[in-house]
Amino acid sequence: MALTEASRAIAWKELLDKLRNRWVIIVGLTFMLFTLSIAYLGAAPAGLTGFRRIDITVASLTSLVTFFIPLMSLTLGGGIIADERERGTLDIFLASPVSAMEFIAGKFSGLLISLAIALVAGLGLAGGMLAMKSGMETFWVFARFVFNSLVLGIIFLSISFFISIAFYERTKVIALNVFLWLFYTILYDLGLIGVVLLTKGEIGVNFFSALLLLNPVDVYRLLNFISIGEFKIIVGLASVEFSGYINTPLLLLTALFWTLIPLGFGYLLFKKRYYE
Amino acid sequence: MLALEGITKYYKEIKAVDGVSFTVRQGEFLGLVGPNGSGKSTLMRIMLGIAKPTAGQVLFNGQPLDEATWRELRRRIGYMPERVSFYENLTGMETLRLFAKVKKSKVDKTVERMLPRDVLERKVGSYSKGMRQRLNLIQALLAEPEILILDEPTSGLDPMAIAEFYRILDEIRQERLLTVILSSHILAEVEGRADRVAIMKDGNLKAIGSLRSLYRQLELPLKVFITLKNKDPLLEQLLNLEGATGLTYRNGYLIADVPSGNKLKVLSSLMEQKERFEDISITEPSLEEVFFGIN
Repeated sequence: MALTEASRAIAWKELLDKLRNRWVIIVGLTFMLFTLSIAYLGAAPAGLTGFRRIDITVASLTSLVTFFIPLMSLTLGGGIIADERERGTLDIFLASPVSAMEFIAGKFSGLLISLAIALVAGLGLAGGMLAMKSGMETFWVFARFVFNSLVLGIIFLSISFFISIAFYERTKVIALNVFLWLFYTILYDLGLIGVVLLTKGEIGVNFFSALLLLNPVDVYRLLNFISIGEFKIIVGLASVEFSGYINTPLLLLTALFWTLIPLGFGYLLFKKRYYE
Repeated sequence: MLALEGITKYYKEIKAVDGVSFTVRQGEFLGLVGPNGSGKSTLMRIMLGIAKPTAGQVLFNGQPLDEATWRELRRRIGYMPERVSFYENLTGMETLRLFAKVKKSKVDKTVERMLPRDVLERKVGSYSKGMRQRLNLIQALLAEPEILILDEPTSGLDPMAIAEFYRILDEIRQERLLTVILSSHILAEVEGRADRVAIMKDGNLKAIGSLRSLYRQLELPLKVFITLKNKDPLLEQLLNLEGATGLTYRNGYLIADVPSGNKLKVLSSLMEQKERFEDISITEPSLEEVFFGIN
């Protein structure tokens, strides 16, 4: 669906704002440094330095990115309503002929593009350097990792939109975002481990795999592990054997679901609150 | 043009607006006055469709508004909310382009009359409060609205910036037929500018009309200032002003309170004693007096 001129203008404003306040540059550089550090110094505890295999680098980066991207996306989208309210500009938008759909689409696209630039530039540049060392095959593995990371970022951006619209007071939004971040990155998997222990591992692979799909962070981990095809090297929940029905199309479909549901509910809530 | 019918608005248990009805006529300047928290901003937000009334309805050209007609009406309304800081990282011109596109319009060169080009090319973060308010007014005027709704537009501005703001507004009103609804708790700003004044207190519309009709309704007296030739305060006793309801002496003036119906009677009485004073002037009650005269 093509964006209207009003949506494009709102998206452009978001992008310009994130470029000028250096958010994109800082996040991009951080990702690049993470990647290069992990690729070069990842084996330092074992007394080795130098670029490691790309699959090992991606596995290590996955663990790091799993914490970093959700937090970044939640904070990125967390202020969409609170910021506009505090600036007094929300009422200007609401008093103009722009529709709820145009407003949300513009905001989401602008932040999505900002996120994509930061991720693709930061990780992509590092990936390019790794590819120069290890060849183009490495590049494609890394490109899939970048894509998967972007998918994770979009999911959490969508969740943050819903939170921002539902609880438009900044303090509530921040508190809930921090809780969600903790829940999805740590607590959910701890809960799953608890379930596995309580059932003495008899929970069943199919059911366990389905539970993994309920956490977007695990969806991301699975996407990466399938991408690099080296499940055995992974430490963590996703290294547990999982059902054969888990494959890339299903994971991408789940990711799409995780994006559209919070965003859709956010839109409906915004429309109901301000337009009906 | 724009009519409010029995508008009531509750925020949870708090009644912000209580059964307000009035009509805004095309081309008029309506001043909405009242203390902070009297319901002015809520009423404006209801007129814009940003806030939904708990009861009552808004009509535009006689038609009740629904979601589709609100969007149509919003094309014809310019809104200047109170206290807008805009986006620090965008220039003034970028900000205007954003809102112009949102309003399906364009920024033309006339904006440079209100903010010079070099200021518009600067980031809003460097703007003074007065510049931000002017930018706020410009954005409200984008897409050439028929109705301009201004919520406390001069709040926090210094006297120079206030004067500049009204100079621009008056200039625009001279150029085109613009209906203006302006809320303020600074009565002097509205006085002399508004065709009609709506007085809000505690969410209620206490009175609406021209200033003259309001003070007549309230039977507030005119003030007649008499400059005496001899500054002796005892002279006031010599003046027998038939029709005046009160006489006070202050700084060489006698000030007579005169009900508007007695104006001619008092003036003819004064003319009979014209050798006793140097000058007279008549002042109508101020909006402040009207405001405080209303319970």
